[in-house]
Amino acid sequence: MAILSEFYLLLSAAVFSIGLYGILTRSNALVFLMSVELMLNAANINLVAFSFHYGNVTGQVFSLFTMALAAAEVAIGIGIVLVLYRNFEDIDVTKAATMRW
Amino acid sequence: MTTRPRLVTDVNYRNGAAAVALFAVMAWTFVTAQFPAPLGFGEGSITATIGYAMFDLLEQVPDGHGETEGFLVAFLVVAVVLDAALDGAVMLARREEDDSVVTALADGGRRALGAGAADESGSDPGDAGSGAAGPDAGDAGTDGGES
Repeated sequence: MAILSEFYLLLSAAVFSIGLYGILTRSNALVFLMSVELMLNAANINLVAFSFHYGNVTGQVFSLFTMALAAAEVAIGIGIVLVLYRNFEDIDVTKAATMRW
Repeated sequence: MTTRPRLVTDVNYRNGAAAVALFAVMAWTFVTAQFPAPLGFGEGSITATIGYAMFDLLEQVPDGHGETEGFLVAFLVVAVVLDAALDGAVMLARREEDDSVVTALADGGRRALGAGAADESGSDPGDAGSGAAGPDAGDAGTDGGES
């Protein structure tokens, strides 16, 4: 028997909330990146769950594209963290208060 | 001295309560919502259907799930975006030409004290304004990763 869609949505909400918790409570840029990934993957869980719910594979294909976009975002994010560390000797996002140094 | 992961205690728990409250709201909404039984997928390979849909070849899918659409344009756009992201990452990671260090930061990013302390102690307003642990901190090499 198939798992009901409510449980997929609960899992997705939990993963999204964990990511949001990480963003709201921490100030480490790498933790920020990981938390954003959690939130993106929560959206992917929803896409795949509703793809199964409606019997349509469009959601699964679109979740693959979302993963590719997440990879691109991480590539840029890691580069930004690298520059942040070079210029501020720290990756605390609250320390980087100036745009030009 | 070895380092180990430590539980972070300087956390803004008040903001974290907002995330917990959001989860409570969403969980209540999802539990009380009425969903029909999921349709699921019939016979046929889902993976093959995804592959055919990604390249606009749905008319060739042998026994797949036809209720989908072509994604060739999205595939190409994502390919371009990934390429641009790779270029952007390389551009961000490249150092200036006058800086001698071009390899990976094998020492955790802290330059050798003799080479790096002289030019960074006086001419880095971002470091002075933020109060970050600069190169003058003697024990900066032992707290790797803690921020």
